[in-house]
Amino acid sequence: MTSRFLSTLALVLAAAVAVSAHHAAAGIDRAATKELKGTIKAFSWQNPHSWMEVEVVGEGGKVVTWTVEMTAPSYLVRAGWKASTVKPGDEVRVTVHPLKNGDPGGLFMSVTLADGRTLTERPIVAAQAATPQ
Amino acid sequence: MNRSTSCTAAVAALLVAASAVVMQAQQADAPPLGALAPANLSKQRPAAPFDVTGTWLNDIRYKGSWRFGPPPANVKLKGEALKHFEAAQKAQAEGKVYHDDIGQCWPAGLPMIMTRVWPIAMVQKPTVIYMVSGFMNSFRTIFIDGRPHSDPDVVVRSFNGESIGHWEKNTLVVDTQFFVGHHHWIDSGVPASEDTHIVERITMVNPATMEIEYTITDPKGWDGEMKFTKRWNRVDDQDIQEVSCLPDLNQHIPSTQSKDNVR
Repeated sequence: MTSRFLSTLALVLAAAVAVSAHHAAAGIDRAATKELKGTIKAFSWQNPHSWMEVEVVGEGGKVVTWTVEMTAPSYLVRAGWKASTVKPGDEVRVTVHPLKNGDPGGLFMSVTLADGRTLTERPIVAAQAATPQ
Repeated sequence: MNRSTSCTAAVAALLVAASAVVMQAQQADAPPLGALAPANLSKQRPAAPFDVTGTWLNDIRYKGSWRFGPPPANVKLKGEALKHFEAAQKAQAEGKVYHDDIGQCWPAGLPMIMTRVWPIAMVQKPTVIYMVSGFMNSFRTIFIDGRPHSDPDVVVRSFNGESIGHWEKNTLVVDTQFFVGHHHWIDSGVPASEDTHIVERITMVNPATMEIEYTITDPKGWDGEMKFTKRWNRVDDQDIQEVSCLPDLNQHIPSTQSKDNVR
């Protein structure tokens, strides 16, 4: 169980930084969070990063498409994700660390689905693994 | 022994000697055995002190985790490296990304490829260690069959360089050179050049923890030695998947597309 715990801990930590390790992320405002309430336009389940596009209706009814960068499917699976978790047309609330320059893009933090479930990129088994068995 | 017999024996001895010389010359001209040639694998060698075969993930909790920087205090950057470093510092202060070549699909290259947050699969044979990174499937070979470095006039330079290893007691010492010297970075703002030279001293802290001490020099880029120590943990429940850097992926990675990036 110790090795499983350490392995899971490694995944938790890796997932936490995965989105910034592919490339430099100085353009991301990690101190800020922004909630996007909108509709999934696209979701790509791919390596080394998955991504989603979220259409958000802004002031005056103008639709703005936000691009949201995510980590790799191997980490997302451990956080409870599947390729079918979100699909175009789904109503969602997505929390991101936004770009500093104000462009509609950011790093994924969490999504709340229409059924009320909230998913992040952190392995959901972490709490179980940390419990002595 | 009469004179005729003696003469025949002398001629025979001469032929044998000549034959041996020809065979040696042929062997010298023969291409070296590949790392996976059965005749190379089956050569008598001392048993390797450890076997890194497995899947490993950089320990981001350990000493600076995935970065090979900022340059240690004993290192003095110079020339183009100093210009890049100062420009990168300025860009970072402005919230910009400096020369994000990895984000533009250039290979991370050694040393950075070793400390990405995707695992690395390693396969060790008596003659060679192969590494495939979960990041862009970057491929690295460490030859441990006793061969020297290639002729500099023949070698094909690469982002992971040419790695030649040998055992020193319980340490695998790996010498890597012949790097590509463009779009290749030691750390943000610290470029690798064609003269970058990396020595890794690889040890096993325990069967599930590997440690590598890096010594990085580059007479074009700085005076002194950069030294870093990193650790990796086995992740036995992970495999390496196919990974490609694709243009349509980058279109959806906000931080690589930002107009604020300093190219």
